Amino acid sequence: MKKKLFAVLLAASMVLGLTACGAKDAPASNAGTTKTETTTEQSSASEEAAPAIDTSEHVKITYMFTGSKPEGAAMDRFMEMNDKLNEILTEKCNAELEFYWIGWTDYLSVYNMTIAAMDGSIDLIGTASDWLDAWPNAKNGAFLELSEDMLKTYAPQTWASVPAENWELCKYDGEIYLIPEDNYAQWTNHGFIYRADWAEKAGLANGVHSWEDMTKYFEYTTANADALGIKQAWDSDGTQNTQLASGWVASHTNFVPIDGICSSALWGGTKDDLYTVVTPAYTDTDMMVEYAKMMKSWNDMGVWKKDVLNNTTSTNRDDFRVGLVAADQHHTQTWTDLCSPTPSNKIYQDDPNAKAGFFYFGEETKNVVALSITHGAMAISAASKNPERALMVYDLLRNDEACYRLINYGIEGVSYEIDENGYRINPEGYNPDTDNVGGATSWWWGRNDNLELRSADRAWDQIEALYDEYDKIKINYPYGQFIPNCDSIQGKIDNCNEQFGNYMKQISFGLYTGTAEDIVAEMQAALKAAGIEDVTAELQAQIDALYK
Amino acid sequence: MAKKKDLDLASSSAKVKLGVSDIVIRTFGYILTTFYALACIFPFLIILGSSFTSESYLNRYGVQLIPHEFTLEAYKAVTKSGLIWKSYILTIAITAVGTLIGLSIIAMTGYALQRRDFPFRNVISFYIYFTSLFAAGLAPYYLLMTQTYKLKDSYLAVLLPLLMSPWLIILMKNFVKSIPHEITESGKIDGAGDMRIFVSLILPMLKPALATIGLFMALGYWNEWYQSSLFLSSRVDVKPLQYMLYETVNSTEALKQTVAGQYITVTDIPSNTVKMATAMLATGPIVLLYPFVQRYFISGITVGAVKG
Repeated sequence: MKKKLFAVLLAASMVLGLTACGAKDAPASNAGTTKTETTTEQSSASEEAAPAIDTSEHVKITYMFTGSKPEGAAMDRFMEMNDKLNEILTEKCNAELEFYWIGWTDYLSVYNMTIAAMDGSIDLIGTASDWLDAWPNAKNGAFLELSEDMLKTYAPQTWASVPAENWELCKYDGEIYLIPEDNYAQWTNHGFIYRADWAEKAGLANGVHSWEDMTKYFEYTTANADALGIKQAWDSDGTQNTQLASGWVASHTNFVPIDGICSSALWGGTKDDLYTVVTPAYTDTDMMVEYAKMMKSWNDMGVWKKDVLNNTTSTNRDDFRVGLVAADQHHTQTWTDLCSPTPSNKIYQDDPNAKAGFFYFGEETKNVVALSITHGAMAISAASKNPERALMVYDLLRNDEACYRLINYGIEGVSYEIDENGYRINPEGYNPDTDNVGGATSWWWGRNDNLELRSADRAWDQIEALYDEYDKIKINYPYGQFIPNCDSIQGKIDNCNEQFGNYMKQISFGLYTGTAEDIVAEMQAALKAAGIEDVTAELQAQIDALYK
Repeated sequence: MAKKKDLDLASSSAKVKLGVSDIVIRTFGYILTTFYALACIFPFLIILGSSFTSESYLNRYGVQLIPHEFTLEAYKAVTKSGLIWKSYILTIAITAVGTLIGLSIIAMTGYALQRRDFPFRNVISFYIYFTSLFAAGLAPYYLLMTQTYKLKDSYLAVLLPLLMSPWLIILMKNFVKSIPHEITESGKIDGAGDMRIFVSLILPMLKPALATIGLFMALGYWNEWYQSSLFLSSRVDVKPLQYMLYETVNSTEALKQTVAGQYITVTDIPSNTVKMATAMLATGPIVLLYPFVQRYFISGITVGAVKG
């Protein structure tokens, strides 16, 4: 009897324990919303007193971001910068900044957990809509809604510098949650990096501007490999197959891929009709057949090694720096490095005529999509005790020259110097292990081209010319707010990616047997069987729900 | 374990006489074990060799058993900041304290659950086992640890969760099962209290169990990085060894691979050889634990403890 009673009690306690778990879960998720309410009340209260901003109380603002915390001597250097920065911040808005690193180990879950704790220990949160969970966190109520009045009052310079249409892209449900990094040029569209001086010899006086030009360039470089002193025209690794294919598609259609579903960008819209989901690589048979034929001709020429598909770690980029290969395939940022006479780019020391050109994918059709402006963005924690002061600090870090230089480059004379032309150089005795303070602040959520100090070792005239060209034709990334819910179609997406990857390995390197028509038809059949049409339909439904 | 015991028994009787079939079986056994041992140790030697190879050589020619160009590059990169030695001390401390406390709690729990005069022992056993079936998920766990227990940035957050696990308790309980109840009774007849019985009679007989479970726990603490990644923020300077090493490898990898890396100039950090050096440093001292506990694996024989 006694035993039974005890068993019942135990069972009861267990059930209670279980329900307690469930109940505990609920207030935790509610905490976000209730706290948001209180903070908005606070902010509306302070709006009334907006003209006179109260900074009488000294506060500490914590800035959380992904990055590696410096150690040892590097940390001492870092703290020198931090102290200096805090002096300025104290003087201007009576606040100081504390850095809070989220290490790269398992960073996404640690990042989300730290935000979800909502314990008020975090104020500024570096975030991103594509590689950190900016929108899910905004939806869960972990980010503070930034009212226009609040932004105008506490971050006036930022508010004025971000155009209205960019604020639109930072809204969820009509409220602004993110401050975009929208005044910083970084181009990550891919293309071919080639030797412009050799292209001239190949009869391309104006450089390479199409895939056909590229064929001509490779014809010349493969035929004259010994004379040019190269070991291979392009020592590609086998993983580039889908990137090449998306490059081809960009150059022959006005396709705009949706990022984040798959690396190979199977799904997307078109420039004329952004919100109708299409897959040109699947539907445009003629285009893909032409692609397969051209890549076969490249393979026959011997552009890449015969065992390219087994090659996973290529030293192609380093070989390009010393003139052992004639081309590289990567994005614009990489080209800005390779075209500059830096110490590691030996081609410019060996040959005064050497010049690296860039043929960007989409050049023929003027199809260039800028990186999403929320690829880096700042949010304020909904649990922040001092959201107003956090905004003020952010405004200074983004727009005040002294603060900007400290957080991005460190202390002048120690971590960087400015030469007579206004470019940034490394001071004498610079030690990259300890003095690279800018590398430890991960300030990727508020860089500002007006205050950027350009590094002296880059070929800025060439880079500027290309950036200007981009600015004329670019469109802004249109799907920044679209977070596909893939739960029901993930399996099919994975299948499509796998099938596409398998066929692109053969097609992109011209390593298929049979005719080009056959292999493309085979690929289309495989994609159909993998369920590509179901995925397209589901994505279309989700796009419609968001944008129409 | 059981097999080892048999082998032990067999070898002790070996002095008597060996038949032809015994010799054949034994030769075969030795050859097999030798090959197996080689298969185990070979990858380890490759890692050791590669960790002393230069990164460029490794990328070009693959892993090396004997380093072609001997270099300490990778070890220098890992130990650059000097924090690693503090991490070593911290991890050794956490491992020692955690294993000691955990073992004593688990041994007592296991013994109590096996005592016949303990009412509801099956219900409680089931209650313990039951918790291993369900988990609330990461978010509630994180909030419980940080907000209810306030363990954020505390080493206790690493120590406590590994202290007891249902699986180890069940394992201990089954070990205790092999100790006859009569031993407890004999202690009682001689007038010993429960604690006395446990410490003087039961614990010595549990040596193999303590060695096994202690080894599990020590390895668990030694290899722990997950709790550290969740609960020890950048405000804590000295992190447990595994997390610290993992972070060293990950930060270079992540910078190269994530989108963030697209706009950072990654200096040539020896990432592959660093992984190897990291593996060597991480295995280091814990390997020394095996010889110490091994003898308990084979000496745990309770047969004949009760006569009559």
